[in-house]
Amino acid sequence: MLLKQNNEYIHSIQNYVQAFEKNSFRHIASNDFSKWPSPLEETWRLSRLGKLTRKKIEPIHSDFKKNIRIKAKIKNAICLSFVDGAYREDLSDELPVGITLHQLNEKECLSFLSKIKKTNLANHPSTNSSLSCTPSIIKINVDAHFSSNRLIEIIYSGGMDNKSVHPVLYIELKKSSNLSIVERFNHSGTLIMPLQLIEIGELASLKSVKIFDDNKTTYNLSAHSVILSDKSNYNSFSLIKGSEFTRSETHAEFKGQHATMNLNGVYISGGDQHHDLTTAIYHNHPNCTSKQIVRGVLGGESTGVFQGKVRVAPDAQKTDGQQMSKVILVSDKASANAKPELEIYADDVVCAHGATVGELDDDELFYLNSRGIPLDKAREILIIAFLEDIITQSVDLSLQDFIYTEAKAGLLSILK
Amino acid sequence: MSLLEIKKAYLKLDNKQILKGISLSVNAGEVHAIMGPNGSGKSTMSYMLAGRNGYELESGDILLNGDSLIEMAADERARSGLFLAFQYPVELPGVGGIAFLREAVNSRRKHLGKKELDHLAFVKEVRKVASEMFVKDEMLKRSVNVGFSGGEKKRFEILQMAMLKPTVSILDETDSGLDVDALKTVSDGVNSQRSDSNAIIVITHYQRLLDYIVPDYVHILSDGMIIKSGGPELAREVEKNGYAGIINAS
Repeated sequence: MLLKQNNEYIHSIQNYVQAFEKNSFRHIASNDFSKWPSPLEETWRLSRLGKLTRKKIEPIHSDFKKNIRIKAKIKNAICLSFVDGAYREDLSDELPVGITLHQLNEKECLSFLSKIKKTNLANHPSTNSSLSCTPSIIKINVDAHFSSNRLIEIIYSGGMDNKSVHPVLYIELKKSSNLSIVERFNHSGTLIMPLQLIEIGELASLKSVKIFDDNKTTYNLSAHSVILSDKSNYNSFSLIKGSEFTRSETHAEFKGQHATMNLNGVYISGGDQHHDLTTAIYHNHPNCTSKQIVRGVLGGESTGVFQGKVRVAPDAQKTDGQQMSKVILVSDKASANAKPELEIYADDVVCAHGATVGELDDDELFYLNSRGIPLDKAREILIIAFLEDIITQSVDLSLQDFIYTEAKAGLLSILK
Repeated sequence: MSLLEIKKAYLKLDNKQILKGISLSVNAGEVHAIMGPNGSGKSTMSYMLAGRNGYELESGDILLNGDSLIEMAADERARSGLFLAFQYPVELPGVGGIAFLREAVNSRRKHLGKKELDHLAFVKEVRKVASEMFVKDEMLKRSVNVGFSGGEKKRFEILQMAMLKPTVSILDETDSGLDVDALKTVSDGVNSQRSDSNAIIVITHYQRLLDYIVPDYVHILSDGMIIKSGGPELAREVEKNGYAGIINAS
């Protein structure tokens, strides 16, 4: 059965765009947006949007005067705030010397559009709708050789019932710069469609942590594109725990040699949540290394999806691409899908993938119980132990306590 | 009143009758040894007492300080003062030794209405007790039982016993896999905890352990029933004549 298109939403985008006719790139973007992905499309087969497409949604009008209390969670971080998809300078901290933030003008927007259209996110629903509906495209520029022990905490909040929110962020790290960011998605409302493009220059390094913790009735369809130059590094860790439905889709491309990337993630799902970590890594140049470790903890009647694609181009010799997904089911009705995909055209590479789905070990649970530890606590202890290696490998020591706290809060609701 | 009383315990596993009406009374200050050949029901008895899922009594009762345990889950029995030292202690990858011990001790303390120990106070206490049990500090920092030798695992079990201060301890074949030196160290650790207010059940194949942990009573378990009870001399009889002699005589 074919998915019904949500024509009302499409029309509402077009109406929204017409209200802002001066931004001509939006017309270009919106013309391409004609339908939601169908479950007949391979990459959306495991994450169906049927329920979403039957809702009546319009893009939100960002209210720049909306007063919303933003609370940073990380000590000493530089806090940047997006509310209803719009950057709020009045709710953000000052950036240090070496980092600038500005709203793209029309010419820059067209250039941005053309870059995004060349990535594999070109047909993602968030690409077209967010380019059409975002109040502004914000760019964070990191100067060459910049380094700091302070990280940037970006908080995305706001949203409304039957409205869609469209934050668009472009981050460029110039040569030999270093940056750490933590992004927290804490929306309420119906639909969030974050779009990101990250360009990491030669010898530059970006450490990124994303916490997806939107309201339990929210849909979050995040699309991220990452491009790595020679000898650069991208270390990403995502924790998905909130929302009714979150799909975090990352397309990462090696555009230079001797670069490295870790794309790790954890999803903690309960009730009837649906969490999807979809990645695609394109080894287009030789001597690059990618690693993906995914852990899932599923309770209630939730579903978890990991789709990990690694494509190695014919000239990408000496590629090292590793992928491992492990899931624990803590209830009989939860289900997990893991779809690793290796497409290898070079002949001197090391690539591996693995996927396991299982339950907590009865002997381990009994051992803990026999020491007086109640069942819920015993499960929490074993699950935290299960997540320990991915957290210690993916996240700086200074952030590990914060991640454990976030993970434990997510576990609390599914272990009851 | 006995500290632990087993009343006509019957238990089936996979439709096979394993325990066939076991009765036992253990009073404060006593050490009871349960001996028997392979397949006699010794481990089943220990899991039954500890409350493992799948080891529920078909009929009969278990009383700890007069309170019935049969409706209590394993964690509740442990908090109430029952301790099982495993024959094969379970490895817990990623679960740190100190965190694990602290969680267990604080669960018991909470049950007894005592204040939970904070991290520093706990670490000080556990290090003191660990050194008495010859458990190295380095072992406490590692994941529970992961990479431990057989002797180290058994010493860690006895360390847990010392920290939890149970009312009744069941030592399930604590001597298995131990050389003479390790046996002596583990036995010293157990003996140091004997008191007038607790009791210990030692489950073993061999008389050897009972030279170090000298019991007050010895019971011979065969085919799910206690077929003979006596003093420590009964263990020496087993050593001399084997189980067959005693089983045939019964």
